[in-house]
Amino acid sequence: MRVLVVEDTPELGRQLTQRLAAEGYAVDLAVDGEEGQFLGQTEPYDAVILDLGLPKVDGLSVLRSWRRDGVTMPVLILTARGAWTEKVQGIDAGADDYLAKPFNMEELLARVRALIRRAKGHASAEIACGGVVLDTRTGRVTVRGEPVELTAYEYRVLSYLMHRKGQVVSRTELIEHVYAQDFDRDSNTVEVFVGRLRRKLGTDIIKTVRGLGYRVDEP
Amino acid sequence: MIGCGIGSGSLRFRLLAGAAVWIALALAVAGFILSSLFQDHVRRRFEAELATHLEQLAALLELDADGRLAVRQPLSDPRFRRPLSGLYWQVGAGDAALRSRSLWDGVLALPPDTLASGDLHRHVMAGPAGQTLTVLERTVVLPDRAEPDRVAVAADQGELVRVTHAFNMTLALSLGVLAMALIAAALVQVQVGLRPLARLRDELADVRAGRKKRFAAPMPTEVQPLVEDLNALLTHAEEVVGRGRLQAGNLAHALKTNLAVLANEAGTLNEGNARAVGATIARQIEVMRRHVDHHMARARAAASRGVPGISTPVLECAATLARVMRTLHAAADLDIAVDVAPEHVFAGEREDLDEMLGNLVDNACKWARRRVVIASRSEAGGMLTLTVDDDGPGLPEERREAVLRPGVRLDESVPGAGLGLAVVRDLARLYGGDARLQASPLGGLRVALRLPSAAA
Repeated sequence: MRVLVVEDTPELGRQLTQRLAAEGYAVDLAVDGEEGQFLGQTEPYDAVILDLGLPKVDGLSVLRSWRRDGVTMPVLILTARGAWTEKVQGIDAGADDYLAKPFNMEELLARVRALIRRAKGHASAEIACGGVVLDTRTGRVTVRGEPVELTAYEYRVLSYLMHRKGQVVSRTELIEHVYAQDFDRDSNTVEVFVGRLRRKLGTDIIKTVRGLGYRVDEP
Repeated sequence: MIGCGIGSGSLRFRLLAGAAVWIALALAVAGFILSSLFQDHVRRRFEAELATHLEQLAALLELDADGRLAVRQPLSDPRFRRPLSGLYWQVGAGDAALRSRSLWDGVLALPPDTLASGDLHRHVMAGPAGQTLTVLERTVVLPDRAEPDRVAVAADQGELVRVTHAFNMTLALSLGVLAMALIAAALVQVQVGLRPLARLRDELADVRAGRKKRFAAPMPTEVQPLVEDLNALLTHAEEVVGRGRLQAGNLAHALKTNLAVLANEAGTLNEGNARAVGATIARQIEVMRRHVDHHMARARAAASRGVPGISTPVLECAATLARVMRTLHAAADLDIAVDVAPEHVFAGEREDLDEMLGNLVDNACKWARRRVVIASRSEAGGMLTLTVDDDGPGLPEERREAVLRPGVRLDESVPGAGLGLAVVRDLARLYGGDARLQASPLGGLRVALRLPSAAA
């Protein structure tokens, strides 16, 4: 899962990216509205955390321009403006959730997880497939009740594929949602991760669709 | 500034200029009429005198022993005998005419004229020594004379002009003095009339300088409403500042309490209890954030309260909030219904209604199982009652009052609540309304919000 954080306060931006990365997300940080707008328009994110008071272009304008251009990823507004009138403006501009600063990091993470899950069409916090259960709240993976230890990248690959359960995901799409923007991408490493996942899970829920990519499905 | 300058923008200048124009105009017209009347009167006297002389001359006319025309005795006015005196008579025309001694060797060149018996004709002609004469003539028929004889009396108009001129001079002088007196009177009147404004200006300076708190001096009825409005404005400003101070104090107090809790927790921090202390700190920070929001909302509402002309349609606000809640509580998949009449209008700021209704509907959405209903009805005494119902677990009666107090949360496990309901009641009371918790017909909690209504 790949998340964009648009936040101009350096300390808060650092806290957010570190914590999201620790939760297994690939994170990009934009420090002003212009950069955020560009990244949101050109990169495929699974969720965006957007501040409103930004240099160059304010958050509401960024959000409106994304929605006008048909960019549909879930957006959570994170702002110091906590009055209901401002929340209404944010939601009307196209936001999916609204959190006022100061905020509880755990609550933020819960909301981001819920946004991503809902956007991918899952009602429950746990996604299950062929005995493999991914708990999006804790980031834990179990196979028939037994926990499995995964590296951060292995988790990202499995999480993205399971969120898109039943759908074919191309290598390119997988790479785009697993790596942050400034990372040196190599499609061969994706194959390496998938191979390791298949071994660790011990069950063949990740199918290779020849010439197209991968699909997670009941075995 | 009021009444102090004499520039074209000052009241004093305008009043004085107006008075001066009218006085000048009225006196000019009066002068013209008086002068015309006098001139007319003098001319008529002048001609009446001439007519008298003419009568006398006609009566004294006779034929002497030789049958020639003769004047029996000299005319009574001595000027007829003084050469070129300006008063002349003549009987007949041409060189043979009988003339007054005053004509000396001149002759009145009477224009050819035919006069019926008893007619009196008036001519103006040049006389001796450059005089302009008014001539009055008639015919006299004497017995034994074949033709009627022309008898004329003439007088110099110069006299008339001199008298009229002298009168006009006197008239102009007296009217000028009168104008001065009237303008001086107007000046005094304006000065006295505008004195309350000057007093008002002095009082304003006192109020600005802080020497006085209110306008106290009695004012004329025309100015009194202005003074009362100014005093009301001063009272309002004082109240706003007072409330601002109070709220800043409240906020400081509220945050200091939380900071004390944080300081205590930090003191007990060690490896073992780090997680529990972290949770306390996070909760205290959340409470502090709500205190800040609460007092911000209060400060704004307090400033706008009582400002006339502000109104917010309830339906628009409720419908917008329902739409927003469907997004914010998308996971709960709630049925949020709005049953508000379009003519229900809240007499207050949009932001404040957003804040009150937003908190209530948000709370209802957190607790509801399936349904939330926002409704309104108008009450007697210009009030509206807005209700927010949910079909959640509701709240036992004995706990309802407690959750309206700041800092009390309905349930620690459901995020939010806390100050939310207290903010709502606080704002409603600032607007002269109230918030009450009741049992909802839907099975859960109903919050009834009483607010002032504005005419739609």
